[in-house]
Amino acid sequence: MTPLALEEVTFWYPATETPALRDVALEVAAGEIVALVGKVGAGASTLLLVAADLAPRVTGGRLAGAVRRRARSGIVLPTPWTQLSGMAFTVWDEVAFGPANLGWPGHEIARHVDHALERLEIVSLAARDPVTLSGGELQRVIVAGLLAMDPDLMLLDEPTAELDPAGARSVWRLLRLLAGEGKAIVVATSELDAVPDVADQVVWLDDGAVRAIGTPQLLAEDAACDDGLGTTVARIWRAAGLAPPYPLTVADAVRRWP
Amino acid sequence: MSAALRLDGVGFSYGAVAALCDVSFDVAAGERVALLGRNGAGKTTLVRLVAGLLHPNAGTVWVGDWDTGGRAPEELARRVGSLFQHADQQLFARTVREDVSFGPRALGLPAHEVRRRTEEALEALALGGHATQHPYDLPPALRKLAALAGALALEPIVLVLDEPTAGLDRALRAQVADALREHAERGAALLVVTHDLAFAAETLDRGIVLDGGRLAYDEPLAALLTSAERLKPLGLVPPTVAALSVALDLPGRPVRERDAAHTLARVAGGGPGL
Repeated sequence: MTPLALEEVTFWYPATETPALRDVALEVAAGEIVALVGKVGAGASTLLLVAADLAPRVTGGRLAGAVRRRARSGIVLPTPWTQLSGMAFTVWDEVAFGPANLGWPGHEIARHVDHALERLEIVSLAARDPVTLSGGELQRVIVAGLLAMDPDLMLLDEPTAELDPAGARSVWRLLRLLAGEGKAIVVATSELDAVPDVADQVVWLDDGAVRAIGTPQLLAEDAACDDGLGTTVARIWRAAGLAPPYPLTVADAVRRWP
Repeated sequence: MSAALRLDGVGFSYGAVAALCDVSFDVAAGERVALLGRNGAGKTTLVRLVAGLLHPNAGTVWVGDWDTGGRAPEELARRVGSLFQHADQQLFARTVREDVSFGPRALGLPAHEVRRRTEEALEALALGGHATQHPYDLPPALRKLAALAGALALEPIVLVLDEPTAGLDRALRAQVADALREHAERGAALLVVTHDLAFAAETLDRGIVLDGGRLAYDEPLAALLTSAERLKPLGLVPPTVAALSVALDLPGRPVRERDAAHTLARVAGGGPGL
């Protein structure tokens, strides 16, 4: 069974007439990373909420179409400080909160928590009180909390927004590793330059609808550049008046440079 | 002329944990400074000190000729506009316009001046269409812009901003960049904490780097951004334009998109194969 499939999904937030998602169809396979890109308000966050079964179940509103997902999925919201359980006085306990709620035996919880802390490179924070952490540290704690539940499907909304560039790189690398282990990952990001090295598939959302689905090469095309969604290298190549196809990344540019 | 902002041997500790140690620098009126460093380097603490939310344990933070140590944040708001990381917590009014106008009203400005500043700030960030909405009906990115508009409406001599572009798309980032440049041209000193080195390169000129609570570098931003070996130990990596400049060995090592495109066009010279 596919970890996530959306069939002709249209979604309205409560008390709105214009849908936030319109006829969205999307399949995410195990081991695949799908990047959602688009302008602010294009619907990426809403799509993740729908995929996580938070919309309309928690947000309210109305959904048409069908959403099929595997039992165990988890979401990381773009505002990590709103996602703390409020029930834990240490980072270790915070990361253990999810697994504990799955009713796992103690040694299983401990194993998953320790492993998640290691993979997010935050073992040194284990004894800290979550409310004393910086934004970037907190973002990693929340991702660790999701990972500790060992979900088949990981949904992440701007997971690197609070991270410094080195921290962001290590999270992107981790996502590639997790996909290699078979997890299905959907990530909304405005960090377009990271997408080519991370994503297998890019979904371009525009005004709630899927405008295009393709490989990251999509982000080097004129249409994406026109809409502010080209990678930096593609945009520079184009602005310099050089001929398409534009290179997607610095490495591509070096290969093209005489 | 005295600096708009001066830190003189500033130190701060949270209990036993030292966050900043002996930090000194000046920012002149109209200067555009990026404050960089890894998570936990002390950047946010420095922002809080400049905004008067914290007072230094050692040294002095001067805003113009005011020692911030003796001033309450609401008094300091006459000279310092700030945007914090969790901008949501800065919004409290029922409409975006009311929120943006809160600062100028609290300064006791006459109604026409409050109106001018409010409308200018809304316009600078293209929030006019959202002015009558409740801030919490806006997506997080626009809430952040609303909080920034509130800081701009104070027309302060120092603008200190903590991650103003986190969660913004490219169009909104460009809008923030334009608004900040305009305020700097009018004389505001900018001190911007950011991990978004691409935004920093496009908007700011000087880079101050904190490492473990101490000042590590203070130099032209372009020189810093093209030096991978100096950035690496600080948890930073060159932004794409700087990396491209270095990888292609572009003359002058441009770090802004437009400059890189010009240089690339000139160097390529319409040569075949490109």
